[in-house]
Amino acid sequence: MAGVTIENVRKSYGAVEVLRGVDVQVENSEFVALVGPSGCGKSTLLRMIAGLEGISSGEIGIGGRVVNNVPPKQRDVAMVFQSYALYPHMTVAKNMGFSLKLAGLPADEIAQRVSRAAEILDLRPLLDRLPKQLSGGQRQRVAMGRAIVRDPQVFLFDEPLSNLDAKLRVSMRAEIKALHQRLKTTTVYVTHDQVEAMTMADKIVVMRDGLVEQQGSPLELYDRPRNMFVAGFIGSPSMNFIGGTIKKRRFVSGNGLLGHDTDISPMAGDGAVILGVRPEHLSIDTSGIEATVLVVEQTGSETTVLLDAGGTRMTLLARERLTTVPGETVRIAPDYSRLHFFDPASGLRLGGDSDVDEPGPSDTKGNTSMAPARRTSLKNGRTGPRKKLSQALEAIGIRQDRYRPELYYMRGPGPKTHAKSVGADSP
Amino acid sequence: MNGRTRSPVPLHIVLAICAAIVIAPIVWTVAAGFRTQISLLMGEVLFTPVWSNFSEVLWSKTSDFLLNYRNSIIVGVLSTILCVVVATLCAFSLNRLRWPSWVAHIFLAWTMIFHMIPPVALASAWFSMARTVGLENTFTGLILAHATLNLPMAIWLMAVFVREVPKELEEAAIMDGASTPRVLWHVILPLITPGVAATSILTFIFSWNEFAVALTLTMKQTATVPVAIAKFAQDFEIQYTQMAASAALAMLPALIVLLVAQRYIVKGLTQGAVK
Ligand SMILES: Nc1ncnc2c1ncn2[C@@H]1O[C@H](COP(=O)(O)OP(=O)(O)O)[C@@H](O)[C@H]1O
Ligand SMILES: [Mg+2]
Repeated sequence: MAGVTIENVRKSYGAVEVLRGVDVQVENSEFVALVGPSGCGKSTLLRMIAGLEGISSGEIGIGGRVVNNVPPKQRDVAMVFQSYALYPHMTVAKNMGFSLKLAGLPADEIAQRVSRAAEILDLRPLLDRLPKQLSGGQRQRVAMGRAIVRDPQVFLFDEPLSNLDAKLRVSMRAEIKALHQRLKTTTVYVTHDQVEAMTMADKIVVMRDGLVEQQGSPLELYDRPRNMFVAGFIGSPSMNFIGGTIKKRRFVSGNGLLGHDTDISPMAGDGAVILGVRPEHLSIDTSGIEATVLVVEQTGSETTVLLDAGGTRMTLLARERLTTVPGETVRIAPDYSRLHFFDPASGLRLGGDSDVDEPGPSDTKGNTSMAPARRTSLKNGRTGPRKKLSQALEAIGIRQDRYRPELYYMRGPGPKTHAKSVGADSP
Repeated sequence: MNGRTRSPVPLHIVLAICAAIVIAPIVWTVAAGFRTQISLLMGEVLFTPVWSNFSEVLWSKTSDFLLNYRNSIIVGVLSTILCVVVATLCAFSLNRLRWPSWVAHIFLAWTMIFHMIPPVALASAWFSMARTVGLENTFTGLILAHATLNLPMAIWLMAVFVREVPKELEEAAIMDGASTPRVLWHVILPLITPGVAATSILTFIFSWNEFAVALTLTMKQTATVPVAIAKFAQDFEIQYTQMAASAALAMLPALIVLLVAQRYIVKGLTQGAVK
């Protein structure tokens, strides 16, 4: 087994740079998940580790050896493909033993290693079947079997579960995790599904547009997302974002989400911020602000409520059953100890519980280009921050302006809520 | 659904007409092989079948037909093997070995142009080339010529089949430690056997039927079946019935191959993807 070192790796296809300087350190025996939206370069990075793609610049090392110019077969890594890529004309046993046969191992040793792997993966009864005679989950297991018979230094997985149905995905997830705990082989696992990453990985690397946005343990990413992109990407349903301003250590937002007297300011100075609250940290609370229920989704174990709070769409996730119905007005409040603040200009995290020293909000740093925006926000507490919010959301790929409350219910947001929030915002 | 479903009768009539158009000349030719020259020339509709044409063509001392048949088989089989091997390697290389795209495009365009030139136009060129290197009137010369003439079609067909093999299978084999020749041999080739079969059959049939180049490159000893059949039409007499009998015999290999390998051809030519 070996660690994988990725140092300032870049990849260009012609003029298009798809990886723009990626640094990742995978420790020995670690399970690292690469997550990010489709097209961000995860597969490309994985294929570069495998040796299927060349490296435009930077360095990739496996077990302390730089492998930039080492062909795939000498890297001692095994890869599981999204489509499984089983050889259709070979039986399960032949599929699994193919690499050993190419390596010139004697037939009895191949048989022995194949049957040991088949034992681990529960494939014994299927060894003589052809891939087309297997179900999706069985094919997936054969693909893993093909990787483990070789006992490689590193396993590479490229979205191995995305072709399975939801239920099977959950059980295969556990199976892969158990396999890793048993074999302790260094693993790099690509997925676009953050739930997979959260549940399986020791370390998550969040990528976007060919760059690493943040890497850390699942809970680090959940508790202290470095920026709005990571905050929105990790966690399901996604984090709610509310534009507003900090004045005298209080957060004031268009929808008046926070009580006036609560000192939650993450920094000393005043300025525009974006507040992030995870749906699971919102609850129905009579001391909170008013919101109109748009949609209620019951799963039995939990309730997801889509709300309109002063024109901002918010999601609330409750672990208990809520009996609320669409159109009803409820009061909601966040868990004040679990709020996140972000700089609207850069999207970066603000405040104390971040492990890195973050810059303050853009206008306190004397960024003059932000000043007019701030003035607007002071004059009209609703539109200023909201505009910034939508810009910030758009930067991470969320188009909030598409939201039309009237599509959800007929009454529209009550003028009372508006008046209240505007009032709360003006000096 | 109602608007879409039509009566199958008109379709069947059209198919029947097409089939008749294709089959009628064959039936006529085979029938002519069983007639006497007189019966044929008098246009009798009902006739008593005779074996004489076939026995004449096959066994008479003056007929070389069995020799021609053997020649055709030798040339057809060997040129097909040569052509399909080269075409498969070429298709694999063009598709998978990361040639700059202009190389592949120019190459394929050139094969297409070459394919559109009628073989007759190059017959004399073939002859002078073969004579220069001393290959006139040899099987080697004709085999090389036939393989070359069939290469464009074979490359185009094989390129389609190779392209249909999912790239991930090849990558999986590379990850399993296979070198390029082993990828080709263990993974690509087993998956494109229907394609190889279809291409081989078509190539063989083209070689079997080829006339112009065979005529210029062969003499009595090396003449192939089409050349021999043409010899029945002589200056003073056209031996229609023997010609028809030879033609009927010449159809046999293609017929047998098609019947035996029809499954492969259809599978090969309609293969959507190797799943
Ligand atoms: N062979 C290629 N040629 C050109 N562009 C490519 C190639 N492979 C991938 N890309 C581009 O690189 C980007 C990253 O692709 P990929 O790594 O597959 O993304 P992901 O796996 O994260 O969805 C995409 O925008 C894709 O279009
Ligand atoms: Mg991908």
